[in-house]
Amino acid sequence: MLAWNPSNLLPVLIDNIDTGIFVLDTEFNVVLWNRFMVSHSGKHSTDVIGHNIFDMFPELPKKWFEKKIQSVLLLKNFSFTSWEQRPWLFPFAHNRPITGGIDYMQQNCVLMPLENPSTQEIEFISVVIFDVTDTALYQKQLSEALNELEQTSITDGLTRIYNRRHLQASFNLEFSRANRHKFPLSMIMFDLDHFKKINDTYGHPGGDEVLREVAKRVKPLVRTEDVFGRYGGEEFCVLMPDTTLEGAIAVAERIRSVLQSVPVQFGNLHIAMSASLGVSTLTSEIRTHQELLQLADESLYDAKHNGRNCVSSRQMPVNSSPA
Amino acid sequence: MTKKILTSDQRDALQEVTNIAMGQAGASLAQVLGEFVQLSVPQINVIELEEINQALAMLVGATTVVSAVRQAFTGALRGEAVAIFDQEGCIELAELMGYEKELTPKAEQELMLDVANVLIGACIKGITKLLQTDITFSPPSVMAKNMPIGQLMHPSTMEWKLALVTEVNFALEKGRFTCHLTQFWPESSIVSLAEALDKFIESF
Amino acid sequence: MSTPILVVDDSAMARKMLIKALPSSWDVEITQAANGLEAVDAYRAGKAEVMFLDLQMPEMDGYEVLEKVRQEDFNTFIIVVSADVQPLAQQRVKEMGAIAFVKKPVNPAEIEAILKKFGVFL
Repeated sequence: MLAWNPSNLLPVLIDNIDTGIFVLDTEFNVVLWNRFMVSHSGKHSTDVIGHNIFDMFPELPKKWFEKKIQSVLLLKNFSFTSWEQRPWLFPFAHNRPITGGIDYMQQNCVLMPLENPSTQEIEFISVVIFDVTDTALYQKQLSEALNELEQTSITDGLTRIYNRRHLQASFNLEFSRANRHKFPLSMIMFDLDHFKKINDTYGHPGGDEVLREVAKRVKPLVRTEDVFGRYGGEEFCVLMPDTTLEGAIAVAERIRSVLQSVPVQFGNLHIAMSASLGVSTLTSEIRTHQELLQLADESLYDAKHNGRNCVSSRQMPVNSSPA
Repeated sequence: MTKKILTSDQRDALQEVTNIAMGQAGASLAQVLGEFVQLSVPQINVIELEEINQALAMLVGATTVVSAVRQAFTGALRGEAVAIFDQEGCIELAELMGYEKELTPKAEQELMLDVANVLIGACIKGITKLLQTDITFSPPSVMAKNMPIGQLMHPSTMEWKLALVTEVNFALEKGRFTCHLTQFWPESSIVSLAEALDKFIESF
Repeated sequence: MSTPILVVDDSAMARKMLIKALPSSWDVEITQAANGLEAVDAYRAGKAEVMFLDLQMPEMDGYEVLEKVRQEDFNTFIIVVSADVQPLAQQRVKEMGAIAFVKKPVNPAEIEAILKKFGVFL
């Protein structure tokens, strides 16, 4: 029996600490294997010590782990791995069998070169494994919550397309981008015809269904780089970067056509709808994104005035001098 | 601004110590990549918190989009090292490191962390050896991806006024990969740094 | 007669470290230069029978100094003293005419051995 003194506390500590510790020689043979490793791997230290780690654990990512160890030997430097890039080294069970929702214990590892003080050669590499499953779960929950928050803050609750806030932020961004690089930028504003009458006839649930249907039908007609959103009420907007007036008018015509093509199914009822559309495009006379928006609004007014269910466009008069 | 946070002798010694340490870091990188690495003359600056982003933009180039990895070191000398990668060069780095398939975002991060760890590890080891002190370092973590350099740091969340910053640029002779390795010494650790530098100076 | 030697480094600290590492019994007259331009001037003035040359310097770096000296009559022993410890850096400076490469921080025994090998200091 060993005398109980500070010099032999260390092996006891290494064995009892709730962290995986093992040591390899330069041929990848195991020379130390602490109790954490025993209980999680199910392999006792006497079975493992003296054997090549890859023979004992064929499930290890061999190529990657070998490369990692080579770099520790070559550079005589610490090396680290994080669960965020590589979730685990050993496929250990985690301590959240019920509440987990992940496959294995999430692990951070530290690889440490152990230098022989007399020869200054690296003879061993120690690997320390930290169980970071809890941290990983919190992080996962947090980023999911943040994602959801981000989505809801820019999405219109009814139609699931962008909301007015995001449209306005996009106006700002796209306007300055187009201005700086002299890219074309066009915009479609459209408004459902006689929407009040739909609401009066079919009730608000009917009106809501029509609005949802508009989003559904228009979405496939716009490109990913376009910003399509609900501006408010029954008014919608498509912001189209790198698009000329002609291009935007063509898209507007397609939108008009798809909206009035077939009535909206609402229970057993069929609700007919159509829209009036106004198109504007960025020219050198336009100085702010509000002017572009106003121009689209005025075109929309023209479309209403011209009998609805049609597309109108306006360009800024060359000699105009806005207040 | 108090530029006299270090005496001119201490400053000169720090520059030389940094130069030697970064030289070893460069050699480690060259060994890993199998390419010749060009080193710049180390820059030493005292910066105030409010101007940290401008100061970095001056070092790296104001319009550069970067990714960055940070790693802390602790001991008698405490501080943080930040490796700032030029975004465009990262793809080339992947090719050199033998990533043949399309680089997934996770693999790209792992690559950046590895390279930063090689540079920072060698550099800190060099400094501690010259200044005869012990330092342990914590794992590196990604602090920014594809970010304009002017937004890299968030001064409003930081609690210091002055810091000493050393910087060396590593560039591959062939290709566009560059990495600015910076070390931030907070005000609280400048006193111990100055003491260590004095000891170093006295030994010659 | 004492040997004129030139120590080139942008860091005063590094020059001091190098001078301290020279053999104490070596009879030398030391000139210091803080960049490549100063180094070339001192070389032209005949102050560099032996030159200790850093590589990373502002103004004119060590590679350029080697190039300049090579273009002129090349009447000096150049020992490169650098923190850039890449094998390729060593190879390059030797190809450019340096007689030896010494790593920073400098080791006195290494310097003495080089000086003896080339018969500069006996």
